[in-house]
Amino acid sequence: MSTPSTNPLTAGTSRLVPLNHALPWIIAAVALFLLPVIFDSRAALTIMNQMAITIVFALAYNMLLGQGGMLSFGHAVYMGLGGFFSMHVLNWMSDDPWLPLPVLPIFGGFFGLLFAFLIGWFSTRRAGTTFAMISLGVGQLVASLSIIIVIFFGGEEGISGNRTDMLPFFGWDFGQQQEVYYLTAVWLLIAALGMYLYSRTPMGRLANAVRDNEERAEFLGYSQRNVRWISFCASGFFAGIAGALFAINFEILTEENLNLATSGSILLVTFLGGVGFFIGPIIGAIVFTLLQTVLSLHTEIWALYVGILFVATVMFFPFGLTGLLALHVMPWKLGKIGYLVKPYAKMAVPTLAFILSTAAVLEILFHARHAGRGDNEMTIYWWLTFDSHSPLPMIIGLVIAGVSAYALVKLAPGLKAAWDEATHMGEAGK
Amino acid sequence: MTAAAIELRNLNKSFGLAKIIQDVNLEITKGERHAIIGPNGAGKSTLFNLITGKYAPTTGQVLLHGQDVSGKKPFEINRMGLSRSFQITNIFHKMTVFENVRCGLLWSMGYKYNFWTMVNGQRELTRRTDEILEQINLTKRRDMLAGALAYAEQRALEIGITIAGGADIIMLDEPCAGMSHSETDLIVDLIRKVTEEKTLVVVEHDMGVIFDLADRISVLVYGEIIETDTPERVRASKAVQEAYLGTTLEEEAS
Repeated sequence: MSTPSTNPLTAGTSRLVPLNHALPWIIAAVALFLLPVIFDSRAALTIMNQMAITIVFALAYNMLLGQGGMLSFGHAVYMGLGGFFSMHVLNWMSDDPWLPLPVLPIFGGFFGLLFAFLIGWFSTRRAGTTFAMISLGVGQLVASLSIIIVIFFGGEEGISGNRTDMLPFFGWDFGQQQEVYYLTAVWLLIAALGMYLYSRTPMGRLANAVRDNEERAEFLGYSQRNVRWISFCASGFFAGIAGALFAINFEILTEENLNLATSGSILLVTFLGGVGFFIGPIIGAIVFTLLQTVLSLHTEIWALYVGILFVATVMFFPFGLTGLLALHVMPWKLGKIGYLVKPYAKMAVPTLAFILSTAAVLEILFHARHAGRGDNEMTIYWWLTFDSHSPLPMIIGLVIAGVSAYALVKLAPGLKAAWDEATHMGEAGK
Repeated sequence: MTAAAIELRNLNKSFGLAKIIQDVNLEITKGERHAIIGPNGAGKSTLFNLITGKYAPTTGQVLLHGQDVSGKKPFEINRMGLSRSFQITNIFHKMTVFENVRCGLLWSMGYKYNFWTMVNGQRELTRRTDEILEQINLTKRRDMLAGALAYAEQRALEIGITIAGGADIIMLDEPCAGMSHSETDLIVDLIRKVTEEKTLVVVEHDMGVIFDLADRISVLVYGEIIETDTPERVRASKAVQEAYLGTTLEEEAS
């Protein structure tokens, strides 16, 4: 930048990659490297791999939704097709391999790009509802095709392959889960960095411009359609990489990878994390995968909780979980974050009580309705065992929920006052 | 020898049966400051939108520097050196002031649909953006979100974005709408400064601004141009005075 920086620490370093920009990436790389050392179980590795794939897909999705203002209901198509083609490449090479496994995501990316190019040709002509409807139609169309064209999609069983069939890569044949983890992690870094850098190119900025005001962009010399089309292609490319990573990890692709449910869940993931921030989809993907994998081990109605979380996010934090965190930047910068500690601490117990008691009520209802005949005993929170058909636990649950909700309502003004104080620029109490 | 900057030939525009623009013929020479005035609903904005490519003409032609641009898309017309501002502030609200102006520069500086260079590292681009911010007196607001600017500042930014690309024909749609007297004076000075040696077409209700700024004035009434002449002669014109239903331009100008 040509304006001289007033901060002596950063003045004159603008041409180099500033450390404060590279630092998050270095931390991320180190963390990705160390994670499997800390969580070395097979299950943990599988969860982390799934997280990484969801992060790549969600970041790609956010290139459309957050950066480009395009709401897609069918983005699983590009991840799925990237995955299916990667699997075919893998199987095609299995007899006489001439490439190592780590290059497979490049194929996935290019097939994702190819289909984004073809479909984007007509779907990006208009933004808004038109785009959303076309994406829905194409999503349904491709999902249906995947059942019909058995020779390519494998019908209901899908297609599978063996990742160890490709050439070993420096002695790794990717039979070990940990080797697959590192492959996935490196691709996660490459893809995330690629998407981050893309957002800082002229195209990345123009995607924002067209999102904010397509008419204005047209009068600055840019075809809104071309800007959307290019964004769409870039997003399809990275979604295809996610698809190939899925193929490598799970060694099977089915109709489920293309269908509208998958498309819908990536919208949910991205929105949950926050569409307005680059790291939003990353946080969304981590939280969602954790809920999906860990919560589903403990309760059958995990999807209900995810749904409630999603609705609550949309209603109360339209900028997502990241937006919620970002709200605290201002008090932090003002050095007033301490003002919030006390009201937060006060609210912690009723919040926890409300969540746990509400969940208990839902679990009791579910157990009473769905458990086998005569199976009346249920256990929640590891140690609480009771008869799900007796009214007492239900009443206790409802009472705790009611009391904690009442406490939260009573405490809310205090939090609001503390919040106003913490975001106010002047001296405390003035 | 040189073609007019803008030439309209028998231009017509209808929406269904409603004829909004009827047989408009107009030549605006290079370097001229031309104002279009007329009562509400006369079709000024439609005429603007026809020239800038937002609407395609029903019949007739729009020529820029002698080239027929009728039916071309706004971005194509912009690339031929015509840039416009909007009556309703039309900026990128969620981007910073700096980025707003930079967006106006990208195409003209040859970046096109570039996705392989880091936009922040482009020194010339940054320098020229800052230069324009200086011109429109928004240097202090550089890193603010455009949506958070005061109204008058947004209008200045609107002009900044419009001129950023270095277009030689600038079209301003009511640049002073909704402004106080002192703000209007500032913006008129700004317009004069940034459109030096350029062709300017301006639609404006504030007669003071028009008579101050324009070399020639076209009066549009019910979709027809009833008069195109110098400010003095337009002021004296009987037909124009009648069109404004008794209120003379003298009164409005004062």
